[in-house]
Amino acid sequence: MSSFAAGWRIQRRVISALIIRELVTRFGRENIGFLWVMVEPLLFATLVGILWRYMKGPEMHGVSVVAFVASGYIGLTLFRNSVSRSIRVFSVNGSLMYHRQIKVLDFIFVRFLIEMIGAMMAFGFIAVLLMPLGYFPIPADLGALIGGWSLYCLFTFSLCLVLAPLSELSDALEKLVPVTTYVMIPFSGVFNMTSWLTPEAQKVMYYSPFVQGMELMRYGIFGDRVNAQWNLGVPLAGSMIFILIGLALCRRVRRVLVVE
Amino acid sequence: MIHCDQLTKSYPMGSGRKRVLKGIDLDVRPGQHIGFLGRNGAGKTTLIKLIGGVEMPTSGRIRRKMSVSWPLGFGGGFQGSLTGYDNARFIARIYGYEYSEIRDFVEDFSELGAQLRMPVKTYSSGMRARLGFALSLAIEFDCYLIDEIIMVGDANFHQKCHYELFEKRRDRALIFASHSFELVREFCDCALVLDDGLGTIYPDVNEALEVYAAL
Repeated sequence: MSSFAAGWRIQRRVISALIIRELVTRFGRENIGFLWVMVEPLLFATLVGILWRYMKGPEMHGVSVVAFVASGYIGLTLFRNSVSRSIRVFSVNGSLMYHRQIKVLDFIFVRFLIEMIGAMMAFGFIAVLLMPLGYFPIPADLGALIGGWSLYCLFTFSLCLVLAPLSELSDALEKLVPVTTYVMIPFSGVFNMTSWLTPEAQKVMYYSPFVQGMELMRYGIFGDRVNAQWNLGVPLAGSMIFILIGLALCRRVRRVLVVE
Repeated sequence: MIHCDQLTKSYPMGSGRKRVLKGIDLDVRPGQHIGFLGRNGAGKTTLIKLIGGVEMPTSGRIRRKMSVSWPLGFGGGFQGSLTGYDNARFIARIYGYEYSEIRDFVEDFSELGAQLRMPVKTYSSGMRARLGFALSLAIEFDCYLIDEIIMVGDANFHQKCHYELFEKRRDRALIFASHSFELVREFCDCALVLDDGLGTIYPDVNEALEVYAAL
């Protein structure tokens, strides 16, 4: 038990040190410092939300366009940023391999965690800002909102866990990532509920872990004003499979990694 | 103790593999000072990296029953875009030391002054060595891994390293890769001569130096 406690202490120390290191490296200590982490998702979500508001009118399918698009876009930026951050994460963090208490999983996790915290801060900021203006509803079911977001995050992280080691093994992957993340937008549930689609498309969406997390989130925000359909099995099973593959790949890549 | 059992390490080279280490057995006892001798490319740095856990052996295993420093060499271990102070903060955090303690020691030992507020990538190799040495000596290890680096720096810095490493910490184990006959003869109790991926340990340092000179 005491060795577990000691391990846990080291783990916490390492994670917090890595977070601070990453924030200082990326954002420095000038002006708003680490608050930059939420600026990108914030700008994306608000600006795309406003664009859609003027393209589609104030509401679509009975919900606020701005709130719908903003809530989707936060998830999309989380996914895109954390995927691009996990590419070549082993090589760029070579200097960390000099300290045996730092494991490769630590810095893959830390990079994801920072993106997740940034996305959540942006989300909270947007919600608080738009609620008094009537563009954003008070969440109908906070539990569903958090649950849906957690599922979405879990799956995104499991994907990073696979892509990080794969990107070290293959140079082609790095070049394929941008186009893949773009093509998957329709399968991410960002701009529509499954129930708005044709029955054929709905069958496909059923197998997208992103869509399942997003549907649950949307239900948490809009409640019964949207016809949300979700299942927990697809995102949970998908995440578990990717986590297992990712762990095996990380172990393999760490063994053959050449550190300068 | 550190036990190394049949360590091999190979790297991909073209379509084949380059076998750098072909089966190294080595035991390091507490307080023992081992010199690693070998020509450039003999695998000294690779072996030190394996012992330090920076890279993993292709086969074989390493058991560490004492705390082992990270390998102190010309590269590695720093985040170049961070300042000397930020690197010190990071080291203090991950090793569970008080930052103020580490900072005081680093300022005093490295004598880098205001340069510590600059990103490490702007440092010369001598300055990096000073910072690296200061950081690893600020953390108490049972065994220090030192790769060549001791030759860097001016006479005054040599003097300090000498005191901190060979006098104050003479009870610690030391693994020390060097081409300097003088240093190995003066400070090592035994030496490992690396040649063609194999290592031979010589309890008599002078004999090891003779073998090395004949390579």
